[in-house]
Amino acid sequence: MGFRGVGVLLQCYLMLAAAMFFDLGEQEGKCIIEEIPEDTLVTGYFLLEPWDMKSVTSSPHLGVTVTVRDPNHEVLMTKRYGKFGKLTFTAHASGQHYLCFQSNSTRFSVFAREKLKLHLDVQMGEHTIGHSTAKTKDNMALLESSLRHLLEQMMYIIRQQEYQREKEEVFRQISEETNSKVLWWAVVQTSILLSVGFCQMKRLKDFFIAKKLV
Amino acid sequence: MKWTAHCKLRMMTVPAELCLLACLTVGLTLGSGPNKDIAFTFLLPAGSTECFYQTAENNCSMHVEYQVIAGSGLDVGFSIISPGGYRLVSDFRRSDGLHMVHPTDDGDYRLCFDNSFSKLSEKMVFFEVIINNQNIAGGAQDEWADVARTESLDYKLEDIRASMDSVYQHLERSRQLQAMLRAFETRDRYLLEDNLWRVSFWSCLSMLVMLTVAVSQIYTLRRLFDGTKRVCT
Repeated sequence: MGFRGVGVLLQCYLMLAAAMFFDLGEQEGKCIIEEIPEDTLVTGYFLLEPWDMKSVTSSPHLGVTVTVRDPNHEVLMTKRYGKFGKLTFTAHASGQHYLCFQSNSTRFSVFAREKLKLHLDVQMGEHTIGHSTAKTKDNMALLESSLRHLLEQMMYIIRQQEYQREKEEVFRQISEETNSKVLWWAVVQTSILLSVGFCQMKRLKDFFIAKKLV
Repeated sequence: MKWTAHCKLRMMTVPAELCLLACLTVGLTLGSGPNKDIAFTFLLPAGSTECFYQTAENNCSMHVEYQVIAGSGLDVGFSIISPGGYRLVSDFRRSDGLHMVHPTDDGDYRLCFDNSFSKLSEKMVFFEVIINNQNIAGGAQDEWADVARTESLDYKLEDIRASMDSVYQHLERSRQLQAMLRAFETRDRYLLEDNLWRVSFWSCLSMLVMLTVAVSQIYTLRRLFDGTKRVCT
């Protein structure tokens, strides 16, 4: 493994060490919902560890199956990873995407029903982590990379804002539809009520006349 | 932009290149400024509790906001347990909440969402954790000042660094606010879609009931008179 490979691994480890984690049971799946606008690159870093590091006697073969579903509940991506890795996908439709993690460790009956720890960090947008600039001590290059980082952040915010505007339009549409439905149903029900009452009276009148009761 | 460097820049042997790479990338990704921001939306099944764990360092501040987006009742129980096992925050059946833990202890904080009071409905919960690493800021400033002093433009660089820092902070805050607003919008949209469905359903049902009642009224009356006619003769 060259320095770059080790660097990437170290980056993942260090980054995830302080990331949020949650417990995952053996063969259990948990899902995270992310609201993603279309054509956005999503990168997720995850790390799977046994819950209690001290009670590990043998190193088990831990693995994670990641399933990504798009807003129509269709599977966008399914992939098996080892203990830790980086998952990347591009969202084609805007909406709620479901990222599901399921542990599929090879059991040696040592870790049956044992809890696992999954560290997770999900980032959206292209993040150029300055690998090339790290080699130089040039301050200008560092400045450039941090300016680029700022630019990306701004683009992300603008993107989300546009997406929010789209959703607001949909919201408005549903609102108006509900309003018109309420009005329409009220009118229809009143007219049905009146016509039914009228029909009832007429039929009863005819009935009583026919039976010579009136 | 603060580069958190856990190792000195003076080591120039081969492992140090690796260390430098790691430290700078740690700074850019983990730190990238003293704020770290994690936001998740997840589905909490009925009658269950889910816990998330967040590692914090000594003397930082942690800011937690959560909101229930969907699920009947729109409420959930929430608690924060410190690394020492003390229950710092305990909310019972609230629809949104905002908590600040300062100063934080070193270790894993446990954030638990509790839906055990609801047997039938699952809840969709959005939460955001923002961590401010205040003590790292001091160290990084010295490092940066060391490097800057060797340049002749050290005053200008300092200026640029300060303004970029503030821009970064503001953008982070915008991003966090955007996430909150997004969660509010999602919750309102679910509510609205629910309302639409309810309006349609109950309107149809009441119309059917009305027609059924009208027809059975006529039928019953006719049968009544047919019956009495038979009795009379």
